[in-house]
Amino acid sequence: MSTYGTAPGAGPAVYDPVTLPSDDNVDPYTFCVELKGNQWFLQKGKMIAYYGSVEFNGIGHGRLDRLVRTSFHSPLHASDWVVAEGSGKMLLADRAFDVNAYDLDEGNLTIRSGNLLAFQPSLSLKQSIVPGFLTLIGTGKFVAASNGPVVFMEPPVRVDPQALVGWADCPSPCHHYDHGYMTGVMGGLRALTGLGGTSGEEHQFEFVGAGTVLMQSSEELMPELDTGATPQQAGVPGAGMSGGHGQGPGTPRLPGQLGDLQRRFGL
Amino acid sequence: MGFREINSKMIEATVAPGQKLFSQRGAMLAYKGEVSFTPNVMGGQGGVMSMIGRRVANEDTPLMTVEGNGTVLFGHGGHHIEVINLSGDTLYVEADRLLAFEGTLRQSTVFLGSQGGVMGMVRGQVSGQGLFTTSLTGHGAVAVMAHGGVIELPITPGRPVHVDPQAYVAHHGDVRNKLSTALGWRDMVGRGSGEAFQLELSGSGAVYVQASEEKL
Repeated sequence: MSTYGTAPGAGPAVYDPVTLPSDDNVDPYTFCVELKGNQWFLQKGKMIAYYGSVEFNGIGHGRLDRLVRTSFHSPLHASDWVVAEGSGKMLLADRAFDVNAYDLDEGNLTIRSGNLLAFQPSLSLKQSIVPGFLTLIGTGKFVAASNGPVVFMEPPVRVDPQALVGWADCPSPCHHYDHGYMTGVMGGLRALTGLGGTSGEEHQFEFVGAGTVLMQSSEELMPELDTGATPQQAGVPGAGMSGGHGQGPGTPRLPGQLGDLQRRFGL
Repeated sequence: MGFREINSKMIEATVAPGQKLFSQRGAMLAYKGEVSFTPNVMGGQGGVMSMIGRRVANEDTPLMTVEGNGTVLFGHGGHHIEVINLSGDTLYVEADRLLAFEGTLRQSTVFLGSQGGVMGMVRGQVSGQGLFTTSLTGHGAVAVMAHGGVIELPITPGRPVHVDPQAYVAHHGDVRNKLSTALGWRDMVGRGSGEAFQLELSGSGAVYVQASEEKL
């Protein structure tokens, strides 16, 4: 980690608006975006700090209609995205994942929706045919997160669905089922009785043709967290009144209910 | 052969015809070439008796056999991976920490009570190992998972190493371990230092410690 400005033995690096990098990584887990009157699309809850005057507007706002019309073609994900505009520097991070920026030049790249943090409006966002993935087309910069550093693979390759971060320029992602597993004597027995279990690797995504496949080191995806709610902590203003978010599991609270007191008495 | 570390959370293994590889089920991330993954009912090597032994000992982590011709990437749950190359000696590790190991290694289950009697069993309970642990003997590579990064501490005669039982990952070589306790009246009234139990390893070999006290 010492490659990012902290000499061994020195204290933590302290940044101010001038020393913060512009459109570059601050450390492996934080990315700094510089805004100079331009706009960035941003996934909700991924901004951790900002300097300057930056305005965050939800998508579907009247004034942003034109921008959304030209570069946001994914109504399913509209509620997860905001547009940041203004001037200043903005820090992005996600669940201590490794964060990196990538440049697309008249290209296309498909990425898991939860791994995309931000992108420039010069790119246009569309929903991929593969559920849960988003495709970026055009020229511009985007920021993506991955659990562990991203590993690039050249096709032909077969990838576990959970380890897949995305792919670029690949014309044919398809499903691959290991047929050999279900045939033969043992396979027949397994299919009949259900005994013996599965290896967990009967199904992969297969990539052939020219392109690049992006993978993350982990198969386990961290749970998607609710964003937009105030943390339920003592001393946080507004905690406990987060309007639908952040409530514990169970029935939704109705108006007129006693809330916590009621639950405490088991009513 | 052997495992190549791609980054701290991912390894690459080369599979060639005639060579077997065992890995934890579901730990494959990607592969190139013609590789097959067969669930291993026995949970590892040996016959039915070893399987029963493992079941009884609760060391029966679901494994799969990897065969074929190609390269396979392994990783699991975002855990850090440490590749340990064994050359003739024995590695002791919990079965659920095993990510992958080469088929040239001999796998067996060890009763911890056989290393130090009753204290061995107590030690197993405290370090979360249970009464049994898995040993791998021979020549080959093992990929072990840990929470947080792993450091290797060498153990030389006359210089025992003390390890927090929760941070202990694995050890190899000719090592005796015993549980040293530093219990005092403070622990009884709930004002202990939290470090009442330590694992003392002595002999010659190495112990692997994770930079976290969290279990997998």
